[in-house]
Amino acid sequence: MTHPVPLTIGLSTAAGNAFTPGEWRDLLARIDGAADAVTLTDGFAADGPQGPDAIILANWLGGQTRQVSIIAGVAVNFTEPFHISTAIATLDYVTGGRAGLLVQPSGPELAKRALDAISHPGGYPQTEAGDLAEDLADAVAAIRLLWDSWQDDAVIRDVERHRFLDPDRLHHVNFRGRHFSISGPSITPRPPQGQPVGAIALSGPGDPARGADIAFLPLGLGAAGNLPVHGDLTLGFAGEAEAPGLWRGEPGRLAAYLAGLHRPGLSGWRLSPEDPRRDLPLLLAELPALRAAGLIAEPGRGTLRARLGLSPAPNRFAA
Amino acid sequence: MSKKQIILGAQFPGVNNFTVWSHPEAGSQIAFESFRHLAKTLERGRFDFMFLAEGLRLREQKGRIYELDVAGRPNTLAILSALAGVTDGLGFINTLSSTFNEPYVLARQLASFDHLSGGRVGWNVVTSPGAFTGANFRRGDFLPHAERYDRARAFVDAARHLWAHPGRDFDLPGIGRGHFGLPENHVYRPVIAQAGDSDGGRDFAASHADVIYSRHGTLEEGQAFYRDVKARVIRHGRPASALKILPGAHVILGDTEEEARHNLRQIRLAQVSPRAAIALLEQTWNRDLSAYDPDGPLPEVEPDLGVGQLSLGRTRLHDDVLDTVRKWRTLAEDEGLSIRELAIRVTARKHFVGTPESVAATLDDYVQQDACDGFVFAPHYTPGGFDRFVDQVVPILQDRGVFRRDYTEGTLRGNLCLPDPLARAA
Repeated sequence: MTHPVPLTIGLSTAAGNAFTPGEWRDLLARIDGAADAVTLTDGFAADGPQGPDAIILANWLGGQTRQVSIIAGVAVNFTEPFHISTAIATLDYVTGGRAGLLVQPSGPELAKRALDAISHPGGYPQTEAGDLAEDLADAVAAIRLLWDSWQDDAVIRDVERHRFLDPDRLHHVNFRGRHFSISGPSITPRPPQGQPVGAIALSGPGDPARGADIAFLPLGLGAAGNLPVHGDLTLGFAGEAEAPGLWRGEPGRLAAYLAGLHRPGLSGWRLSPEDPRRDLPLLLAELPALRAAGLIAEPGRGTLRARLGLSPAPNRFAA
Repeated sequence: MSKKQIILGAQFPGVNNFTVWSHPEAGSQIAFESFRHLAKTLERGRFDFMFLAEGLRLREQKGRIYELDVAGRPNTLAILSALAGVTDGLGFINTLSSTFNEPYVLARQLASFDHLSGGRVGWNVVTSPGAFTGANFRRGDFLPHAERYDRARAFVDAARHLWAHPGRDFDLPGIGRGHFGLPENHVYRPVIAQAGDSDGGRDFAASHADVIYSRHGTLEEGQAFYRDVKARVIRHGRPASALKILPGAHVILGDTEEEARHNLRQIRLAQVSPRAAIALLEQTWNRDLSAYDPDGPLPEVEPDLGVGQLSLGRTRLHDDVLDTVRKWRTLAEDEGLSIRELAIRVTARKHFVGTPESVAATLDDYVQQDACDGFVFAPHYTPGGFDRFVDQVVPILQDRGVFRRDYTEGTLRGNLCLPDPLARAA
């Protein structure tokens, strides 16, 4: 017996390089109300088309959506954690609690291109895998600390004493990592979700989650740790293929394939159309069948955390 | 001869004491609805652009986070791109640091904004104080103060190179090399704005910027600044019209002149509360003055000229502190001003005060007499602080034939009647 779970649709800014703004708007309008969330994987420092910056795209789309959550991808190793933190917090304000951060790890090759593109400044990791992994965990930790650096009740608007805020409810985070340190507090008050959802795509169950709340993982490779796992599948409605993380087949056959992979304890699905222009409309047409089979839930309302079954995030600085 | 058209921009109320958070109609400084309200209001008024300032670290005074003013604002690029998604004709000028961003990263973000918004993005290029702000960034305090404009210039040059070559590889010494993989089906032409008033700042604007933001309030000061900056533009081989001069200003309206003056007084009292008056003086004195009575005379103690800074995260207002304090003492003695009344006087910014008719006439005069090309206004509170200007002053400017009734260009560069920078780069 299966239980229906939230659906996320995966899109990439690089693959969408040829999309006009109007096409991006139409894509999101179709997904809005059909899926719980969309991830926008960023094409930072890609060798070819990179597409628009995912944080800019996410916010530009954010105010135009009503219901769908937007999880913006960032190459966290090569972007300032302070800017990431305030930008995702802002997306959370823009969408009223429907924001997430897709933590994109960088391998040595991408790291080399990224460092070349920004001319090897100080404060960034080197191209060695272990160093990149440690820096990624540092950056996510710093981003999360900054989200908590304003207590929810920091703004007091005390007209009598002329105090807008209570500085005792704001906190220097004083984060010290391997390559950088951050004093804080954030310039942006704590976002509506407190902690916007951190997501990470893993290639195998042994990969560390680096402080994320949920993991997208190809099924059929074994069980991951104790993180909520969303089955991660790239799909195309052309040709035939079945491998962990990839399915190609005819319209009408997706539900049966997913039912075979579905298992108790699965927290969601991320389905990424291989060629969005061709495959997204076909995928959307499959959704009623997926719902009828009890595989995916009706898109919910409310915050992304709530829809994904994550508990409200306590503030680590609040007493 | 046809009249000069007025350029109008407005900023979301900032994190300083000019924003009256205690105003009975003041709403959230962070809710998206507050930002959307201002953007929609400005678009209804056919404004050229909305402007947002940025500070990358919260201000501190006497070792504590400054508590008297509004604080807490969104990420600049993120909120303005969200607003671009819900508007059609309004431009958006982002204040962004050339110190704590990297050229490839920021050029890509601005290009993305320009693409998605259909050419409605501007970048107000600022430099950031090193050690204090750097403590929030990977690179830390990496840039010597004297080199801040060199980096800004190289940064803008690099960004313009990348924008002119989407989908191509780049190799720019000191900037980086790689691929700028933005869609090739768009012409990237973000507007560059600059706000520095120093000699270096004016020259940077004259050589690189499309817009310069100034603080020269009177007609005569404005005209002198206008002549100086336009001459510099020509010396850099550009037409004088290639740089638009836009002073920051406030507008206070009333049904009568007297009512407007009364409103100004009430707003100044709210901006300079007794505690704010002491805090403002402390920023110049560089000393704890909390023992002084804001309604009493100026402190007899002299300013502390030591290296320690009592107030962090602000631009220093006066080059010569002792001279400033001497002048303030004379002013206070001559006119019998208390600490608070002196603070109200010496921290005043340019206000256009009057009825909608008289304010519209004065604004028009400033532009026609070449004190400026337009204005960037700051409302006193959010979100409704600019409704009345749009409802009552804009129609008069339109009737005078000096302000558009509708958007015709669709881009910020077009709104501002700026030449195409690619023609120059080619």
